[in-house]
Amino acid sequence: MDIVIRITFVILSVALILAFIRLARGPSLPDRVIALELLASLTVGFIAVHTIFTGDTNFLDVAVVLALTAFLAAIGFARYLERGGRRDE
Amino acid sequence: MIAFLWNLLLALAWVALTGDFSGSNFVVGYVIGYLVLYMAAWQMRLGNSYTRKVPRIIGFVLFFIYDLVKANLRVAYDVVTPTHQMRPGVVAIPLTVDRDAEITVLANLISVTPGTLSLDVSSDRKVLYIHAMYIDSEQELEDSIKALERRVMDILR
Amino acid sequence: MNEIVTSILLIGGALLMLVAAIGAVRMPDLPTRMHATTKAGALGGGLMVLAVATYFLEGSVTARALAVVVFIILTAPVAAHIIGRAGYFVGVPLWEGTIRDDLKDRYDPDSHILHSRDRTPPNS
Repeated sequence: MDIVIRITFVILSVALILAFIRLARGPSLPDRVIALELLASLTVGFIAVHTIFTGDTNFLDVAVVLALTAFLAAIGFARYLERGGRRDE
Repeated sequence: MIAFLWNLLLALAWVALTGDFSGSNFVVGYVIGYLVLYMAAWQMRLGNSYTRKVPRIIGFVLFFIYDLVKANLRVAYDVVTPTHQMRPGVVAIPLTVDRDAEITVLANLISVTPGTLSLDVSSDRKVLYIHAMYIDSEQELEDSIKALERRVMDILR
Repeated sequence: MNEIVTSILLIGGALLMLVAAIGAVRMPDLPTRMHATTKAGALGGGLMVLAVATYFLEGSVTARALAVVVFIILTAPVAAHIIGRAGYFVGVPLWEGTIRDDLKDRYDPDSHILHSRDRTPPNS
């Protein structure tokens, strides 16, 4: 089990670095937004592994909140990108 | 909907009577409650849509998971191999479903499947614009979306 | 048995996330990047949270893990759709290998009406 957790940490760290490259390179704002979204997913993954690693299940609550706030951030960014244009049909 | 509540009630009764308050026991109670409702509907010759819908929903979930895994593998293959063999594009898919709930469910299912992403619905709700990653043949793509749409209609109507 | 399932879910989820991250770097334009990242990333996160549930096998942990998975499944497609749409209408350029674009010129930014077929040119 220990070796599996370590491998998972390594894979996630590599993924985190790659996502950060996309965040830094852009080129457009939506590209950075999806990189941030991916970073949030990766953090949820990190929390899951850390929960198993430490055996402290309270970290799961953080994952719940993070999954929700990441969604709100994505919606907020999209509204900002479209300059809050209303499309009521 | 009422039949679903009855089923939950039967499951709760099962949990209370067996005295084992665990999730797996609740599932057992739910299955038994479902069988009871199914037999009741069959015995009394009620056209109960709930008992007929549950197998369809389970079938739909299985079909969808299969679809999800298949599409994920295809995108993953394209990501890790050095060449891009994708042919992306924005395609207009004519819609048969017209209710808000059905369009929402269909658009979200399309978005969940890797390789297709729903962009927007036209203002008159006749066309759904999707971005697809593999447009090898338009007919094939449209057929797969239509198959998904039929299954959505099966469940929601 | 339990540990094997947990290990498979953990490694599988982590590999999916790695694929998503590689896709984010390698894919040529915004929509194709989103195909790679949003779903594979969300699915990977869901699998890893499920691994927590199978590892502990306790009622409260399983309930919270399932809550996370349900949130992810409900929110991932909505977020992907809304960012993709915003990106398209803001005018992020598509990859030159894009073979067709049905949506082009059908959106009216003033009236916010999206037409279902090609508009007739105004001077014909």
